[in-house]
Amino acid sequence: MSPLESISEKLGTTEPWVEKGGVHWLPLGAMNVRELATAMNGLHARFVTITAYQLPKEEGFRLEYHWDLDGQLLGFSFPLADKSIESIYDLCEAVDWIEREIHEGFGLDFLGREYEPLLLRQGETPGVNLREEKK
Amino acid sequence: MSYKIPMGPYHPALEEPYKLDLICEGETVCDSKLRIGFNFRGIEHLAETRNYIQVVALMERVCGICSNIHTLTLCQAMEGLTGLTPPPRAKYIRVIMAELERLHSHVLWAGIAAKLMGFKTMFMTCFEIREKVMDVLCAISGNRVNYAMNRIGGVNRDISDPQAILKMVEALELEMAHTVIPIFTTSRTAISRCANIGVLTTEKAVSCGVVGPTARAAGLPQDIRRAAPYAAYEEMEFDVPVQPAGDVTARLLVRALEIMESCKILRQALAKLPPGEINTGDDKFPFTTGTATSRVEAPRGEVMYSVSWKEGSRTPSRVHVRTPTFANMPAIRWMVMGARLADTPLIQASIDPCYSCTDR
Repeated sequence: MSPLESISEKLGTTEPWVEKGGVHWLPLGAMNVRELATAMNGLHARFVTITAYQLPKEEGFRLEYHWDLDGQLLGFSFPLADKSIESIYDLCEAVDWIEREIHEGFGLDFLGREYEPLLLRQGETPGVNLREEKK
Repeated sequence: MSYKIPMGPYHPALEEPYKLDLICEGETVCDSKLRIGFNFRGIEHLAETRNYIQVVALMERVCGICSNIHTLTLCQAMEGLTGLTPPPRAKYIRVIMAELERLHSHVLWAGIAAKLMGFKTMFMTCFEIREKVMDVLCAISGNRVNYAMNRIGGVNRDISDPQAILKMVEALELEMAHTVIPIFTTSRTAISRCANIGVLTTEKAVSCGVVGPTARAAGLPQDIRRAAPYAAYEEMEFDVPVQPAGDVTARLLVRALEIMESCKILRQALAKLPPGEINTGDDKFPFTTGTATSRVEAPRGEVMYSVSWKEGSRTPSRVHVRTPTFANMPAIRWMVMGARLADTPLIQASIDPCYSCTDR
């Protein structure tokens, strides 16, 4: 069994891995981000980053989570319908700054955590989507 | 009674602005809070307004020390979107530039670390050597800082006389082997100021997801050049220095050993530089719709670029940069916890932080 197949087994999915753009992608179906983070911890994968995308028109946002496993970059995509997703900070300390940065720059909420100001905010000011024009 | 001492955003120990609020009891640091953003330039958003030529010049300016690494990572990602493969000679030149940049960065760091140890003569020695590394970079690229070497499909400038560059590298290697390395590894000043301070345990290094020399000095043998080789690294023989102690001495030793490994790679790359073209010769690029990701081992650790494009567009729809200091800097909180207040400038400097990269 290849390392990628063993990950699929661990995640309980039969979907095939797709290598695209330098990343091994796995569709997760109904699995949520906290279950994914727990599984990645179990595999001793190294968290790399989260990339946030604002989709065209009213399609919302997409977050791509990346982990490294023995030099292979793994990618998992989560569409966001309501500008929020559960935080994995309590499961993976390394996400702290990137969750805070995305909150400040895209106005997305990572549920279940508090944010200290990081890049741009002062005090209790909430994050805003910097891509939207100021009305 | 605890009290708070702010270090920064402007402080003699910081090369650039950031803020470290140290919560102390007596002379001992109990906790700390980091604040970045003083160099925020909105570069990722700005990149979405630049075409495929301009975006390379823009991303070269994310960082003043590892400017070449940023364009290398970006160009590799854009090559993934255009289906272009750089010629072998271009891949070798990319390795040579990347290793010279690593030498430059590590020697610069050694100088700053020496200054923070109160070792001013060593600071001057390191900066003198750094000038010579920059002379080599200038001889290849014509520039001392932003080298403008990378382009989609290869590099912009050839190395016409590799033997001349090889002689410069060998002279540098000799000088570093006789000055920087022995002084940092054997001098009492360096050892007494660095040993057993700013410890990052292997467990905490894993938990924080640190990268580069910071990870390797905490016992983690991770290096993208070895784990996921790019450019011509697959054809290079080199060791990945690892130190288990996790203290400032370990970070110092890892960088000292990496200087020698970089020289080893440079000698191989210059000796085996293959003939042929240095780029694909394209000036119009058939971008396909999608996202491509590239990772490179910068002097401070792994850099990752995710670049998204829409077919027919002249500008990227998204450029995300994950810099090594962004991954390493949160670990400073754990390194300074329990340290003496007087040691914190050196401890925070020991990860070789780049605030410009971190803020973007």
